[in-house]
Amino acid sequence: MDPNPIDPTPRPWRSLEERAGLPGEPEEFPAGASEAPAGLGRRRFLQLLGASAALAATVACDRKGVPLVPYTRRPTEGVPGVTNFYASAFPEAGKAHPVLVRTREGRPVHVSGHDLGGKAPLRATADLLGLYDPDRLRGPLADGKPISWDQALERLARGFSNGRPVLLVTGASASPTRECLLRDLGEAVPGLEWLSCEGLPGAPVDLRGWKPRLEPVKVLLSLGSDFLAGDDPSLVEAYARRREPGEGMLRLWAAEGSMSLTGANADHRILLKPSQVAAFASALAQALKAGQGVHPAPSDLESGVWGALVEDLRSAGPRALVLCGPALPEAAHRAVHALNRQMGSLGLAFEPEGVASGLRASQVLPRLESGHYGAVLFWGCNPLYTSPEAGRWRSALARVPFRCWMGLQQDETSTACSLLLPEHHWLEAWGDHALSGGRLALQQPVVGALHDSRQGEDVLLALLRTRGKSACSGYFDYLKERWRREVQPPGSAVPFERYFASALHEGLVKARVLIPPIPAAVRESTPVPEYGADAFELLLAPDRRIFDGRYGNNGWLQELPEPVSKTAWGNPLMISPADAHRLSLADGDMVRLDAGPEHLELPVCIQPGQAPGVLSLTLGYGRSHGRVAKGVGVNAFPLLDPAGSGLRTGVALRRLGARMELPRTQGHHRMEGRDILRIQEGGHAHSSHAPHELPSLYPPQVFGEQRWGMVVDLNRCVGCSTCVLACQSENNIPVVGPEQVARGREMHWLRIDRYYEGDPANPRAAHQPMMCQHCDHAPCENVCPVNATNHSPDGLNQMVYNRCVGTRYCANNCPYKVRRFNFLEYNYARKEPELLAHNPEVTVRPRGVMEKCTFCIQRIQDARVRAKLEKRPLKDGDITPACVAACPAGAIVFGDLKDPHSRVVHLAEDPRGYKVLEELGVRPAITYLAALRNPLRGGKS
Amino acid sequence: MHGLDRALRFVLPLGILALLATVLLVGWFVQPDRYAQGRSVPQPIPYSHALHAGTLKIPCLHCHSGATRSRMAGVPAVSVCMSCHQVTRTERPAIQLLAELQRTGKVLAWNRVHSLPDHVYFDHRPHAGAGIACQTCHGEIQTLSVVSLRMSMRMGNCLGCHRDPRTALPKESPIRRGPEHCNACHR
Repeated sequence: MDPNPIDPTPRPWRSLEERAGLPGEPEEFPAGASEAPAGLGRRRFLQLLGASAALAATVACDRKGVPLVPYTRRPTEGVPGVTNFYASAFPEAGKAHPVLVRTREGRPVHVSGHDLGGKAPLRATADLLGLYDPDRLRGPLADGKPISWDQALERLARGFSNGRPVLLVTGASASPTRECLLRDLGEAVPGLEWLSCEGLPGAPVDLRGWKPRLEPVKVLLSLGSDFLAGDDPSLVEAYARRREPGEGMLRLWAAEGSMSLTGANADHRILLKPSQVAAFASALAQALKAGQGVHPAPSDLESGVWGALVEDLRSAGPRALVLCGPALPEAAHRAVHALNRQMGSLGLAFEPEGVASGLRASQVLPRLESGHYGAVLFWGCNPLYTSPEAGRWRSALARVPFRCWMGLQQDETSTACSLLLPEHHWLEAWGDHALSGGRLALQQPVVGALHDSRQGEDVLLALLRTRGKSACSGYFDYLKERWRREVQPPGSAVPFERYFASALHEGLVKARVLIPPIPAAVRESTPVPEYGADAFELLLAPDRRIFDGRYGNNGWLQELPEPVSKTAWGNPLMISPADAHRLSLADGDMVRLDAGPEHLELPVCIQPGQAPGVLSLTLGYGRSHGRVAKGVGVNAFPLLDPAGSGLRTGVALRRLGARMELPRTQGHHRMEGRDILRIQEGGHAHSSHAPHELPSLYPPQVFGEQRWGMVVDLNRCVGCSTCVLACQSENNIPVVGPEQVARGREMHWLRIDRYYEGDPANPRAAHQPMMCQHCDHAPCENVCPVNATNHSPDGLNQMVYNRCVGTRYCANNCPYKVRRFNFLEYNYARKEPELLAHNPEVTVRPRGVMEKCTFCIQRIQDARVRAKLEKRPLKDGDITPACVAACPAGAIVFGDLKDPHSRVVHLAEDPRGYKVLEELGVRPAITYLAALRNPLRGGKS
Repeated sequence: MHGLDRALRFVLPLGILALLATVLLVGWFVQPDRYAQGRSVPQPIPYSHALHAGTLKIPCLHCHSGATRSRMAGVPAVSVCMSCHQVTRTERPAIQLLAELQRTGKVLAWNRVHSLPDHVYFDHRPHAGAGIACQTCHGEIQTLSVVSLRMSMRMGNCLGCHRDPRTALPKESPIRRGPEHCNACHR
């Protein structure tokens, strides 16, 4: 079977309905798109009405104005109204990423990456909302009653000294100073046992701590590894650099069971059941060993494709790399490790990264059940949700007399504890984290504590102090002391204070971190378990938006469409078109999934490219806590194998008959089959069209000093959607909720369109960021009855909210479908601390107003004023819109089209360049560069 | 017939008049305070610009230091007042109130005289940077013991100056016009 058969009429499609030519639900405007929400009771309707009337009144009148409150004591840094930037680090599950936090008047308003540390991951940008989450615990609680911190610490100290062993359960962390503190605590508290608890499936322990280095790689085979999903933006950055058009363009293969973002970007994709990965890797190793000649392909694979893959890997020699998906069983990891060792790519293509430390003790549960422990402290983890054996945890905990919990917001675990301590958010706390390549990131607080919370480390230090084991007054002193002792290179001429200040400024240092040697004596093979071929196999992996559920309360992440399936708000079960046809299932049909003693009832989503016999489901949904997270999706953790693999075989599926509407954006704003996305075969660019200027009846636009424009390189874009979230954070874009998304009312100014091409069993996919094209002859402008949208002299299609009366003519007339209408007062439900996440430089739009991408006009204006004050012209690179700053692949470039030396002009002249819907003569300001795909070696094109 | 005639002669003009009067009256009463030239509001501290900026000739930027660095000119922090009033006129009740705030860290809420709607993003920096005197918009503030609105905060006033800024700018300024496109102030 050819993995990528070339369709005789290669017309990209976005949904199966569209491909089959069915009318389906994805009309341009879904039925009822302009009606009030269904089930909106009279009371709720009146509430909304009242709220919008009240807000309209405040907008119109603003009679007295709000009082003017200056500082009482002027802070030493910062002027009100001027942004300040701080380097910090975003910790997550034993990894960390350096970030740059933008603050206004002392509160963080945006998180992005910086030059030294690379781009910020999606969830770092999104977790700004976590800081302002109204669900955060506001002060210590004992048995549900508020108490003071003194009382809480006293109770904690008493609970820890009842003479019996103490269990400390923490989330994974790569912080050396924290580890040092935990060691100190272990010495001070006799009988302390420490369990580092991350509930996610991962590689075997001896194979962890290594990060692929893509710079030298020529051929990359991903066996279910979704390294392009953007969890680690540096991988996307490196990948995009290696995809520069030319002879050496990286060749990407993917063999996987579910359609991952990596698979969607691959040159060639092979359908492979997760249970067969180990066998596939071993067969590859055999074939590579056999030298030239015959190397039999695994049974169900076409020999031409297999031969091309083997040939590709062989010709690259040690510059070939195979990556294994973390959720796969141990045998697969070991087989892939052996394959990499055989090809010689281990030393070349891997670099060490910080290892999540902590004792991994799966023996803890039996001890807990036997009543061994006198106290337990949960810190930054939620095993009663993320453990496949949550029920066992709950009943075992009843045997522990003192149960304390420390975290951000109450969760499943906190309900089983009596003493609850609120912890600082990472934007309020100190820390340091080991990064890859022997670097150390410094995490600094960028805002004072919003609530009566404390840093977790400070609580442990207080415990140490009560035992007289530490003289440090706080974790900051402790951290600084350790840095003075162990981090600053000995014999350095720089005084420590200066060294530390510069580390704070840069956010990271080159440190003396011991680099673990490449594991030499790892077990390279494990007997491959026998898998039955009859039943379904289920692959469970963390959700790429809400991860293991810890960001479930984050509306931005919940509403971000999954980059491949384009579903939001939930985790439907992904099923292949063939299986869905066999079981006569349609999108949104409810099924019952049986896996051993566990079962789930959930909707299915038909995913083109999913291997037949393979189901996939993401973890992190079905929370019972959090006002946003509660009740969204189903909890798949009970289905997880306690041994640590994300694969579950022998799963049965039964149709239930009910249906549920999936909040899915893939059919919205579709393109009616026009030539919008261009993919070229071959590593070399060739001109995709003859540029021609269409005649126009409109007078040409007259531009002032600048004319802003953009170039989007589709060959670099992997579809990770980090830009969508950065845009949402920068531009105060509201979250609308699942019902509204199902009606096509999502508000994202920037969306990523995903197109398929070819056979639905294994299509080729491509992504296209789509935002306002700022057309010179914008069709939206001449239909607006109140001139609320018009053209600025610098080439922007400007939207004036206070003029807009909401006729929506402009949205109807926009060929790119990028205008968004505020059907309801979406900001009305937001509660107090949440409003602080708004960017003060951008208007919060009320109900009844149209909005769209502005090219981040607030950043343009700020850069312009700064240049003016410095008495210089604007330079290329002075302005970076939020999407440009966020894109880890560097796929979006912004600049002045009138400046012949600007990067954007240079790129727009690329032979791959084209304008979307050029034939309409609207003259968009955005040039897209066609995507490139490597042809199959020695095969058909 | 008679009824229609009466309707056309009296009821219709009266109705139109009543409608017009209603619109004007409602418009007059709900118009924002920022349109009201000459309006002043009582302040928690009887601060006099006439004394500080006029008699003592303290430069505007000494207290409103944001005008050249930030979008907002800013109201000085209590600590800025106290840099002089630590020793000056400490016997006055208003100064004692300031000292009290400085000590306790409580905030001082001034009442707004100049306000703009949420969708207007006025930036002090380019205006101050172009050499436009504060008095151009804020009036002869150094003569006012109570601040009042000297310029009605209407878009027409902004645009008037942007179209012909010569009187506001220093003589040698090369600037001929200010930007007039929507995005210059609205976003």
